[in-house]
Amino acid sequence: MIKLEEVTKIYKGDVVALRNATLEVNKGEFVFLVGTSGSGKSTFLRLLNKEEQPTRGRIFVAGKDIGELSSWKVPFLRRNIGCVFQDFKLLTNKTVAENVAFALEVIGRPRPVIKAQVPAILDLVGLGTKSENFPHELSGGEQQRVSIARAFVNRPLILLADEPTGNLDPSTSVGIMRLLDRINKTGTTVLMATHDRSIVDTMRRRVIELDHGEVIRDQARGVYE
Amino acid sequence: MPIKVDYAARETASNLRRNFTITLASVLTVFVSLFLVGFSLLFRQGVEKTTERWRGGIEFIVFLSPTANPDQINAVRTALDSPEIEKVTFVDQNAAFDEFRELFKSQPDLLQSVTPDILPPSFRVVPRDKDARTVEDLSAQFRGKPGVKEVVSATETIKLVQKLSNWATFFISGVAFVLLGVAVLLILNTIRMAMYARRREIEVMKLVGATNSFIRVPFMLEGLIQGASGAALAVGGLVVALPFLERGLPSATDFPLFSGIIPATGDRLVTYVLIAIVGCLVGAAGAGAAVSRFLDV
Repeated sequence: MIKLEEVTKIYKGDVVALRNATLEVNKGEFVFLVGTSGSGKSTFLRLLNKEEQPTRGRIFVAGKDIGELSSWKVPFLRRNIGCVFQDFKLLTNKTVAENVAFALEVIGRPRPVIKAQVPAILDLVGLGTKSENFPHELSGGEQQRVSIARAFVNRPLILLADEPTGNLDPSTSVGIMRLLDRINKTGTTVLMATHDRSIVDTMRRRVIELDHGEVIRDQARGVYE
Repeated sequence: MPIKVDYAARETASNLRRNFTITLASVLTVFVSLFLVGFSLLFRQGVEKTTERWRGGIEFIVFLSPTANPDQINAVRTALDSPEIEKVTFVDQNAAFDEFRELFKSQPDLLQSVTPDILPPSFRVVPRDKDARTVEDLSAQFRGKPGVKEVVSATETIKLVQKLSNWATFFISGVAFVLLGVAVLLILNTIRMAMYARRREIEVMKLVGATNSFIRVPFMLEGLIQGASGAALAVGGLVVALPFLERGLPSATDFPLFSGIIPATGDRLVTYVLIAIVGCLVGAAGAGAAVSRFLDV
């Protein structure tokens, strides 16, 4: 599903965010990316949906070299990749249902499809009763569920989560992880960058550890350290 | 991917509402500049048409009687063939009729009452020496000759009008062009503000894979609408203002046929279409610059 071949990313001022990373993630895998702040986790995720370009090396997503993707095709790559962030990135002037519908509307899905899919995905994330609420009326955990619903409503092949539990308390985080696990079980490949030791240690999934941009550990059914 | 029309319309409308004051500023700037452009174009066309027969250094015109016979015409022609005269152009009755039709295009009643055979053929004369007194002496020789109906010389007034019109159009166009530049910048900034106000939405749109064109269309439309509204106001303004202007000027029929100045307003429709096109271009240029500079993937 995802393949990196000697990928290096250097930002201005010789900041190395990723150095010679070569690895492969198979379809349906659940992968934790761990490492200290600035170790390159976010860059790793941003390279996959072409928000950043690698300085060297090649990246394949779903069998395609995304370095050779012309810029007008990038949106179509991103339709196959859902994204979840620590700060949710919800639109505050739209209701829960509208936030999710927005993601479908802007990629040109027909209205009947939107009408059918939005309630279904909100039920899936457990927010069926809050569809008319605004984000500020929800708890942090609920807001993150909305953002997961938005990322997943288009049934992407890959879900990228950048510290999705970073702003949440431990018990709420568990609920979010259950949700991501369910999504993973539908066959969606999940990559999650995290600092949350207990989550990584409980889930026992593949762990890739980065340190100053280098992959220093890649372990199936791993722990945080 | 098809752009959804209702989506684009809704987003554009809300952008325009959100930035109402600055949108108004852009629209008014486009309006004022295009009004000036249109005004100077129409004014210039009018002056050019009216003074057309005096272009190319023509200093006096010998109008022949419509009933002049070929011998009389040839006699005048021979007399004009002198070393003092640089160039002579003969305008026969059909050419005179064409010219007449062009001048009085806006007055169909007048046109219907005229046929080529009642119009005077004429010699347009370019003398070698342009000094007023020499021209006067020269033209006087043809007054009263057989077959000559009237001799009209380019007065200082006509020359002054031509000069003033050149200056006025030059100056007004200069101001109008600066204002058009201002309008482009204003529209650019309006769109930029609209994009800033929607930056979170744009971010989400990019994340979920909305195409560039989908993201850009509402902003492009916003600029286009601003430019087009300004142009519409300018055309409306000209339509309202021109009759007042013309009322102030003497009407064409007040002038004797052979005098120098006839107020003509030129081809208005072409000017209006031109204004509309320039308005849309200004809007598109401002929006396009904003979108390509501040909306990268």
